[in-house]
Amino acid sequence: MAAQGKRVIRTRLGEREIAEDSIVRFPHGLIGFEDKREFVLLQVNDSSPFLLLQSLEDPGLGLLVADPMAFIEDFGVRLDGAEKKILGITGDEELAVLTTVSIPRNEPEKTTLNLSGPIVINTAARVGIQSPQTDSSYPPHVYLAGGR
Amino acid sequence: MLILTRRPGESLYLGDNIKLKVLSVQGKQIKLGLELPEEMTVYREEVYLRIKEQNRQALECTDQDLLQAATLWQRKESE
Repeated sequence: MAAQGKRVIRTRLGEREIAEDSIVRFPHGLIGFEDKREFVLLQVNDSSPFLLLQSLEDPGLGLLVADPMAFIEDFGVRLDGAEKKILGITGDEELAVLTTVSIPRNEPEKTTLNLSGPIVINTAARVGIQSPQTDSSYPPHVYLAGGR
Repeated sequence: MLILTRRPGESLYLGDNIKLKVLSVQGKQIKLGLELPEEMTVYREEVYLRIKEQNRQALECTDQDLLQAATLWQRKESE
């Protein structure tokens, strides 16, 4: 039986106990998965820079993500008015920025950070959005090895 | 597919609350103006498709490759 405020969910990495207040709501889902609205961030393991953005509604839907600033010098995200409104941004809210991570099959050394569609989370309100960067000065993706 | 012809300066309404106006045509480029509900997001198709593909890739890695990648890149403990 899960402790109060906790619940056990099924994830890509097996069953995990999560805190109810760690759930992040994505009012527009993620791109390609617009109907999935509730996610939670899970550590892959203690020392890994990778996190799993796990859907609560679909145990198979767990995207690998990472904090891009752990690998590259500088990364900024531009949000448009609609996105700010969805995130509930009024001023100096704390925003977490994550990018998806692609690991090609059998070639983990060619892992890339995908910079075109960063995931931005208003951590206090626990609302998130995936924000396509249309006029970005960054490339669509970078190899991790090219970073640090 | 519904096909309509519009001249620069002419508009279309999509439903009650989306207005799409053809601003100008120059060679192969058409400049469009959109009036949208505040919380409606708009994606350029090529960007949307690229991100969709990246999301699919972020979903598809095998557990084995994930563990190996995790050992290739460790979190920086000292910083």
